[in-house]
Amino acid sequence: MRSAPEAGAAGSSGAEAFSPEEPPADESSASSWFWRGARASLSTPGFVLFGSFTGFGAMTHDFGWPVWAAALSTLLIWAAPGQLVLAGALASGAGIAASSLAVTISAVRLLPMVVAILPVLRTPETRFGTRLLAAHYVAVTAWFEGTRRTQAMPRTARMPYFLGLANGLVAGSTIATVAGHAAAANLPAPLSIGLLGLTPVYFLLSLERGAGGIGERVAIVLGLVMAPVVSQMSASFDLLLTGGIGGTAAFLVDRAIRRRQAAS
Amino acid sequence: MNQHDAWFMLLAVLAAFAANEVWRVLGAVLSARLDENSALFSWVKMVATALVAGLVAKLVLSPTGGFALAPLWLRLGSVGVGVAVYAAGRRSLALGVGAAEVVLIAGMVMLGR
Repeated sequence: MRSAPEAGAAGSSGAEAFSPEEPPADESSASSWFWRGARASLSTPGFVLFGSFTGFGAMTHDFGWPVWAAALSTLLIWAAPGQLVLAGALASGAGIAASSLAVTISAVRLLPMVVAILPVLRTPETRFGTRLLAAHYVAVTAWFEGTRRTQAMPRTARMPYFLGLANGLVAGSTIATVAGHAAAANLPAPLSIGLLGLTPVYFLLSLERGAGGIGERVAIVLGLVMAPVVSQMSASFDLLLTGGIGGTAAFLVDRAIRRRQAAS
Repeated sequence: MNQHDAWFMLLAVLAAFAANEVWRVLGAVLSARLDENSALFSWVKMVATALVAGLVAKLVLSPTGGFALAPLWLRLGSVGVGVAVYAAGRRSLALGVGAAEVVLIAGMVMLGR
């Protein structure tokens, strides 16, 4: 997530976003950039993502989801934290309203990611519909790899490349979700438990990987410590309470540290 | 449990899709006009971070279903090794996740379950 401030800075003034010193337009067509992007989805971050969706698929099998629901959630929601929150909330007995509320809270972080990546991807000719489409594919891995890889490309190549990359990641992740769901029932116990264990450790590490400062790391620790305690008190709203109280406390700690740094 | 009801699942996934997508749409609408480094955004990010971290703790400490077949010490141990290898290995997700998986699967094999 380190590249976010630069991307945001480039986007804050429209003139700079389309600076003249960028590489000259490439002769290759949009569809060749699309397929180049799609091929790039078969990379290490892509395979880590596919692995985590295999784990998610296995977990939904464990929770009694039909396989189509698991695949549909990857295709449509396309945000592993949101899908995980949905599965966790439904499993602890929350209804549709409460689980959607928890999902929407987990998804607010997508907004600044969209705000950061669109100025990198778009050209002055990019239509609003295309921007919406690109925004739909914003999720941690697609966002991080998309920003990182397209910044050095000619501007006309960026959007098709990103759409190819993101579609490759969605396709692979959907296949992985279905495979994980199917495998959970048929693998020897140590391997299926290994699949189920994939999700929590992947999330913990990717939260740390994406943390932009001390405040988000404090939020990770507070969330880990608070959730077991809070879930004893309120089973269906425990995630909302953990997020609200832990996140606000982390925010206050972060502000206090910044103020101290500014003062000294 | 009503989760097996196909209509309930379809509705739950579609509602979650809408609840998730609204922030992407807002981001596209507002993209040029918002400062992603504002205090409001950093607060929101921390609330979401604490929420997902809380979910991770619940999944490890009190899992439902098959993951509960692994004893608590093995679940905690595998995550601990994953974090340690991730920290030692230049914050590599693949290394950390891989190490946690090796510990978890080897542990289950040795326990003979």
